[in-house]
Amino acid sequence: MAPNKRMMLQADMNRIYDDEYYSEQKIKQEKFFVRPSRQRKMKKTKIFSIGMGIDLPFCIIILILLTIGTIMMFSASYAFSYYTQGDSYYFLIRQLIFIAIGLGAMCLMSFFNYNKLHRIAPIVLAISYIALLVVLALPSDSGVKRWIPLGMFNIQPSEVAKFALILFFAHWASKYYNKMQFARYSVLPGAIVFGTTALLLFFEPHYSGIVIIAILTVLMLYIGGMKTKYLFIGFVIMVGLVLILAMTGGLSYAMSRMDGWGQALVYTDEDMWQTTWQTRNSLYAIGSGGLWGLGLGQSRQKYLYLPEPQNDFIFAIVVEELGFIGATIILLIFALLVWRGITLSLRAKDKFGKLLGIGLTSQIGIQVVLNILVITDWLPNTGISLPFFSYGGSSLIMLLAQMGIVLSISRTANIERQ
Amino acid sequence: MENNSNIRNNKKAAKGPNQRLRQRTAILIIMILIIGFGAAIARLGFLTIVQGSSLQEAAVGQQLKDTTIPAKRGTIYDANGKVLAESASVWQVVMSPIYFENDEQRRAAAEGLSEILELDYDNVYEKTTQESYYVVVKRKIEVEARDKVLELIDKLSTDYDCGSVVQLLDDYKRYYPKNDLASCVIGFTGSDEQGLEGVEFQYDEYLSGTPGRIITAKNARGTDMPFQYEQSVEAEDGNNIYLTIDETVQSICEKYMKQGIADNNVLNRGVCIAMDVNTGAIIAMVTVDGYNLNDPFTLPKETQKEIKKLPQDEQTQAKNEALSAMWRNKAITDTYMPGSVFKICTASMALEEGRVNDNTSFNCTGSMTVSDKTIHCHELGGHGSQNFVQAICNSCNPAFIQIGQLVGMNKFNQYYQGFGFSQKTGIDLPGEAEDTFWAEGTMTDVDLAVASFGQNFSITPIQMITAVSAVANGGYVLEPYVVSKITDAEGNVIKNVERTVKRQAISEATSDKMNEILGYNTATAGATAGYVAGYKIAGKTGTSEKIGSETISHFSEDYIASFCGYAPADDPQIAMLVFFDTPSGDAYYGSQVASPVFINIMSEVLPYLEIKTEYTESELEYVDVSAGDYTGISVSEAEEAAKADGFTTTVKGSGDKVISQIPAVSAKVPTGGNIVLYTDDTSRDETVMVPNLVGYSPSEVNSIASTYGLNVSFSGASDTGVVSTSQDISSGTTVSPGTVITVSFSSSATFND
Repeated sequence: MAPNKRMMLQADMNRIYDDEYYSEQKIKQEKFFVRPSRQRKMKKTKIFSIGMGIDLPFCIIILILLTIGTIMMFSASYAFSYYTQGDSYYFLIRQLIFIAIGLGAMCLMSFFNYNKLHRIAPIVLAISYIALLVVLALPSDSGVKRWIPLGMFNIQPSEVAKFALILFFAHWASKYYNKMQFARYSVLPGAIVFGTTALLLFFEPHYSGIVIIAILTVLMLYIGGMKTKYLFIGFVIMVGLVLILAMTGGLSYAMSRMDGWGQALVYTDEDMWQTTWQTRNSLYAIGSGGLWGLGLGQSRQKYLYLPEPQNDFIFAIVVEELGFIGATIILLIFALLVWRGITLSLRAKDKFGKLLGIGLTSQIGIQVVLNILVITDWLPNTGISLPFFSYGGSSLIMLLAQMGIVLSISRTANIERQ
Repeated sequence: MENNSNIRNNKKAAKGPNQRLRQRTAILIIMILIIGFGAAIARLGFLTIVQGSSLQEAAVGQQLKDTTIPAKRGTIYDANGKVLAESASVWQVVMSPIYFENDEQRRAAAEGLSEILELDYDNVYEKTTQESYYVVVKRKIEVEARDKVLELIDKLSTDYDCGSVVQLLDDYKRYYPKNDLASCVIGFTGSDEQGLEGVEFQYDEYLSGTPGRIITAKNARGTDMPFQYEQSVEAEDGNNIYLTIDETVQSICEKYMKQGIADNNVLNRGVCIAMDVNTGAIIAMVTVDGYNLNDPFTLPKETQKEIKKLPQDEQTQAKNEALSAMWRNKAITDTYMPGSVFKICTASMALEEGRVNDNTSFNCTGSMTVSDKTIHCHELGGHGSQNFVQAICNSCNPAFIQIGQLVGMNKFNQYYQGFGFSQKTGIDLPGEAEDTFWAEGTMTDVDLAVASFGQNFSITPIQMITAVSAVANGGYVLEPYVVSKITDAEGNVIKNVERTVKRQAISEATSDKMNEILGYNTATAGATAGYVAGYKIAGKTGTSEKIGSETISHFSEDYIASFCGYAPADDPQIAMLVFFDTPSGDAYYGSQVASPVFINIMSEVLPYLEIKTEYTESELEYVDVSAGDYTGISVSEAEEAAKADGFTTTVKGSGDKVISQIPAVSAKVPTGGNIVLYTDDTSRDETVMVPNLVGYSPSEVNSIASTYGLNVSFSGASDTGVVSTSQDISSGTTVSPGTVITVSFSSSATFND
């Protein structure tokens, strides 16, 4: 495609604009919070994007998903909640509190100038490493160390790590955008950051976290401008690494989780039957849903057949109750969220915002896809939660805060003018 | 810088930073949204639509709990709708021990259940440790125990959170309100309510009904899910069965049969069958001693004692044998040699074939030689010359040998089959036996000779009475039956049993002739023992040897004493066979052992069945009438009223008014009986001692009784040579003056078998 004059001009403008933002003085001059009231006065008639205000469609999609997710979380959890906690509303009430905190965080973050994050990105990464180290230092009954207990809810450092990783690569790639084709600016930091994070997660152990971190690293480096050939080289190296670890037995826990993968419906022996219990009942639930579902609240599999139906396997209950049609609609809303998030991020006024927005939004899409593939037994049963749906304090608050950042980015984007 | 190179080189410009970002973002979107989401949606579509039904089936399989609802077994009624067998609600305690979570729960449940249900704790605890969804703890518990179990379930759910493990299921238990009445006909059910004997067994498919099911959704712990997911198939209750058995007739028969067993020390039980001669319906079928249907697995104490004497290893088998012997319905499952009763059939054949008439003469010298075998008559001196009717009345064996010879072997066999002896009667009861007769072509002249008077072949009692009914009813061999009607739980008739005629064995004319001869037999001649005042009864006694021998002698020890008759002789309604297997008292003749029982039964049954009485003048003397009410009026008025009713009176006390009377109002008092009228309370304390009234003629009995101021109801009395054989209130008993004592009479001299 031949480049036209306008596009070139635009590219140039962007670069100049970016360069302006990189100057430390500029950042110091900016007020900590953008004043939306002032911005709105300038351009206030647009419904979807109110000038320098947040992107309303994206915000609405988040709220829709949050609403559906909460309703479904309640529906999926109340039987389990009743039998295990003696109170059907146990999970709902907690989730609503998390949502309130999360929405507060989202709101706060949407007013927060995300460019502040540019500078502190390495610090955030360092904090996430500290958190990952802390969790390793904490005692654990099961030998699996993923949570830092904080009274009412637990913090999952891997959630922080994911965000920190995206943030760091957005920071790095935007800072060295023009040098990203060189391996030492892309492959090297990528390998170091991913390697460190993966190593820490490996000791938790949290393999699904490593998988997501790996995907996010590749994604961020790819959109950051890394040469495609390194991608393949990196892929080959990673596969080789996994194979070596698998051979040496270093992945025993992961291998054990791989046991029974794809075998959920076939009875071989009692142990395997118990191992695949959750996946099998997830498949039963999905199959029971059929095209139209059993109706909201009508799931039977949630009556203790599907363990912890409010967590990773919540979507199986969603399919059982709302059917293939309902599930597809929800997935389309997720897709819309990803689409909108990426496109609005592309309109961000600076490279950092673009990369950060794309990374944060993509993370949701990736989690959704992985989650569905796990509950449908196309991927081994590993702990990947479904954004906006799965019960969980830290991940939900983290998620909403991240969405707040994307909303903050959307303030600088002028999506309508494109 | 890169930017500069982009501007210089148009080709590279396409890969400028923003352009590159756009392209890569587009690829990213394709990867995530098209491939990722596409794969997810495709996978979900495959699972929900393609595999949906099979997955749902598997899901439903684990979610549903299937509970069986037992069907209520149908009720068995007698001919008049009296309940003979009924199912009542009880409960079954079951548990699903797999849902126990810890040993504490198991102990609590086992402790509670073993205490309430009176079970061994270790046993129950063992059950709680089973990895099972369904373990029966105890069956057929009653209301009180059920209430306690419900309390326990409450306690378990509040204190131990395992209430749903123990459950109560509906169940039914069979009750037989009349205990041993008609036990061999009704039969009983086993622990699963399945019919094991009698009608319960024969009509099990009608009675049992169809169990229902409740399919409920359960959670993974086995308790019901709170939402509405319940499908139930109602249990279809069993059908009700109406027997042809009349409870009143049955109990009359049983009463006298038991008395007969006791009086004659009968060793091998007795049978009484009463049949409606026109339909084949069994009105009563008694096998004594029966057994308590509510407790069919308990043997009589004497039998238990005998079994205990046996070596340990033989006891179980002996017990089982004793039980099955006790349950046997002797009336249809055992065969016997009919003896002289069979002469009814032999005589009918001869008449039907025209080989004899009233005046055909037979000579009896006390014995007869057939093919070098000498066969004796019971009258060792011989009956001399006698005509056909006399031969029947004398029950003369040589005469019947001759009658048999006149009929001939072929015809005899033909009629034997015609009367239905060669096949099962087809009565709707289990275990009917077949006859034992000479195989075709093997019968010899001697065989024919002894067969003519009912020896050396065996038939069942039901075959005998069916044949006699055929003789009585115009020759029609009927299929006997005990079930007249089957209705469903709502009362709609499902099946109505009508009379089934198998064939006509003899002509109506022959039947009429036989009725006349046999009626004469009981009224005046040989079988006067079968005489019942007011009724024309046809009948024939029989005394058969249990062990067949070629030369019939009376030195064999075991006999079967029987009487078969029907009434009224001129319009037969009811036929009855009474037989006692091995009476070991002083008497063993049918006329001594079976006839009195027959008379006693008939004299109660015939009035009950409202069969018209026809008294001869002499009989009227002994007819019982109802006492009127003579109380509350002055003594003179009462005396007058009693006189008008045909009674004499005795006044006791010094009052002016009659305050009470004996016999009571409506009591049966013989004509000319004495009514004692009391006028004050003190006089009522007066009593008399009942004298011995056995061994006298009717008039003697009358005079003795009147001396004591007692009334006598005559049973089986007639003018000709009867003696009293029993009295219902034994001598030495203290009673009030005027009390009615029933005295039975029986032929004193003739044992014409």
